[in-house]
Amino acid sequence: MRRFRFGVTARIVAVLVVLGVAVFPLYWMFVTALSSNSDLFADQPRLTPDLGQFGVFVDALAEGKAAGWLLNSLIIAVGTMVLSVGLGIPLGYALSRFSFWGKAVLTVVLLFTQMLPEALMVVPLFALFRRFELLDSLTGLILVNSAFVLPIVALILKGAIDGIPKELEEAARADGARPFTTLTRINVPLIAPSIAATAVIAFFHAWNEYVFAVTFIFNPDLQPASVGIANFIGELGTPIQTVMAVAFLFTLPAVAFYLLVQKYVVSGMTAGAVKG
Amino acid sequence: MGNQRARFGIARATCALGLVATLLTGCGSDGDSGDGVTKLTFAASTFGDPGRGPLLTKWLDEFNQSQTKVQVSAAAVPYPTFGQTVLTQMGSGKGPDLVRFDMPEFEAASDAGLVAPLDKVIDAGKYDLLKQPDQFMVHDGVRHGVIFEASNYAMFYNADLIPTPPTTYEQFTSTAKSLTKGDVFGLAFRQTEAEEAGVWQDIFNYVYGFGGAWSDGKNLTINSPENLKGLQAFKDLYDANVIPRGADAATFRRMFAEGKVGMELNNGGYVTATRGQNAKLNFTVAPIPFPVRKQGAILAPIVINEASEGKDEAGTFIKWALEPQNQVKLQEILGASSVATTTQRSAESLKATPFLPVFDGLTETSLPQIVLGFEAKTPDIRKVVVQNVVAALQGKADLKSALDRAQQQATELVR
Repeated sequence: MRRFRFGVTARIVAVLVVLGVAVFPLYWMFVTALSSNSDLFADQPRLTPDLGQFGVFVDALAEGKAAGWLLNSLIIAVGTMVLSVGLGIPLGYALSRFSFWGKAVLTVVLLFTQMLPEALMVVPLFALFRRFELLDSLTGLILVNSAFVLPIVALILKGAIDGIPKELEEAARADGARPFTTLTRINVPLIAPSIAATAVIAFFHAWNEYVFAVTFIFNPDLQPASVGIANFIGELGTPIQTVMAVAFLFTLPAVAFYLLVQKYVVSGMTAGAVKG
Repeated sequence: MGNQRARFGIARATCALGLVATLLTGCGSDGDSGDGVTKLTFAASTFGDPGRGPLLTKWLDEFNQSQTKVQVSAAAVPYPTFGQTVLTQMGSGKGPDLVRFDMPEFEAASDAGLVAPLDKVIDAGKYDLLKQPDQFMVHDGVRHGVIFEASNYAMFYNADLIPTPPTTYEQFTSTAKSLTKGDVFGLAFRQTEAEEAGVWQDIFNYVYGFGGAWSDGKNLTINSPENLKGLQAFKDLYDANVIPRGADAATFRRMFAEGKVGMELNNGGYVTATRGQNAKLNFTVAPIPFPVRKQGAILAPIVINEASEGKDEAGTFIKWALEPQNQVKLQEILGASSVATTTQRSAESLKATPFLPVFDGLTETSLPQIVLGFEAKTPDIRKVVVQNVVAALQGKADLKSALDRAQQQATELVR
C-alpha cells in the first residue's frame, strides 16, 4: 500500500515538474507583464502577477495595433499551413510512389533547401518578389514561408506514405481507382497523423517567422506580430511590460492551435492499434 | 467512423480557413489614396522609443495637418535590424521614402548611391546649419542628408547614489566598484555581439577618450597602443564585475531608471527616454572623465530614398522640418540632442534640464561614430572590431591579439 502511494506521489510530482517546465515560461511572461517597474529589478523578483497592472493588456489591445498584428500572423500561418500541406501531400506521394528521372536529385535538393539560412535568401528573394509585385502583401509572405517549409513537409509525408503497404493501393486500383483517388481516399486518411504533425510545423514556422516579414512588409498595417513585438525595441528603451503583454497574447493562438490539432495527432497514432 | 468524421472535419475546417485567408490576403494590399495626396513613409528607429516615439508621431501629425497634398506616416522598423532591413529594401529599389539613418548606415547607403542628392531639394544656404555635424552630410560636394539629430555622449549618473561625479578615470573606476553591491551596479555598457552597433558606440568613447582613433584618415589604426589602452580600460571594467553582464541595453537602461545602475555613458537623446521610464529619477550628467576630452556623437541624418517616387514631396517634409519653429519642437522632443540648425534653449528647458549646457559644450570635441577615411566601410569594420573585442571580453583571446586580428581582417576588407 505504501509502495502504491509512493508510486502515485512520484507520478504526480513528475507530472507537475513537466507541467511546470512547459508552462512556466508562459507564466513568467504573464507575471512580467503585470509587474511594476520597481518589481522588475527588485532583489527578490515577484512570483505572482500584480493584477493592479492589468491595464497594460488593455492598453496593448486598445491601441488596435496588437489585434491587427495577431490577425496578420494568423492569416500568414494558416495560409502557409494550407499551401504547404496542400502541395506537400502530392509531392510526398510522388516521391514515395513514382519512379521518374532525377528523383534522387530532387530529394537531395529538397534536403539541401533546409540547410540554407533565411538571411542568405532575403536579398535575392526581395528582388524576385519585387518583380512579381509580391512585396508588402501577406500573399508574398505566405508564398515565401511555404517555399521554406514545403520541403520538410513533403519529406515527412513521403516517409509516412512509404510506410503504407502498396497492396492497399493495388487493391484500390483493381477496383478502378485512379492515382488521385488512391491518394485522397486511401493514403490521406492513413497518414492523417503525419498531416496533422506537418500542419503544426508549417503553422509554427510561419507564426514565428521574422526575417522575411520585417524586410518584405513596409505597411505597418500588414506587419505580423513577430515584427510588431520587435517594434517596441527602441534605440534608447524598451517597454518590457508591454512587450511581455503582447508576447503573451502572441503565444495564446499558437498554443490553442497546437492543443486543437494535438488530439488528432494522438488519435491518428493509435488508430487501428487494436484492430486486426 | 468517429476518426474518419474527425478527419473530414479537419479537412473542411482547413479549407474554410484557407478560403478566409485568401480573401483577407486579397484585401491586405496597400495603395495610394487616389485623391491626389502623395503618401510617404518615414522610417526611423526612434519611433519605437518610449517617450520620444509617441511625441515624434505627433510632430508628424502636425506636418500632415499643415499639408493638403502630402502625408507622411511613420514606418516602424525594429531598431536591432533597422540598418540591415532598410538597406536591403533600398538596395532593391524599394523601401521607405524618408529615412533617419545612423551614421555608419548613412555612409554605406550614400556610397552605394541609394540616397537622393538634396542640393536641388533644399537650399542649404538658407538655414543656419550647425557646422560641426553638418560637414559629414556632404560627400564630394554633394549633400546627401540633413541632420535630424546630433547628440553628444556624456556621463549620466544617479545623483542620489553619486553626490559628486568622478572627474578622472581612476575616480570613475573606484566609484563603479564602490557602488556595486547587491542588486546595484556601478556602471553598465553593452558587451554582446547581438548588440553590435551599440557595442561600437560604447567602445568608441573608450578608444577616443584614451587618445586613440580607428584610423589616421588613410590607414586603419585599430591595434594602435592608444586603442589598446582604451579598450583595456573597457575590459578591466568588464572583468571587475561592476556591470550587469549579459544585460542588454533595454534592460540596464531600465535598471538605471530604477536606481539599480549608478553610471552610464550615453547621448542626449537618453534624457527623454529616461524621464519617460521614471520621471522621479534624480539623475544628471557630466563630461566623460577620461584622459582625453573627445567622445562619440550620435549623428542621425534624414535622407530621401533614391528609389522614392515622391522625392519632391519628401523634400517638402524636410523643408517643413527645417523651419525654425519645427526645429524647436523637434529639439524639445529629442531632449538634450541638437537638431540641424542653431536653436536657442528656452528658459523653461534650462530650468527643467539644467545640464543641457554640458551637452552643448561637448559639440566641438564630439565625433560621429564612423571610421574617418573609410566611412562607407564602417559597418564592415565595426563588425570585425566588435567580434574581436567581445571575444577578448569573453576570454577567447587576449586583447592585444584580438586587436591585431581585427586590424588584419579589417585591412583586408578595405583593401
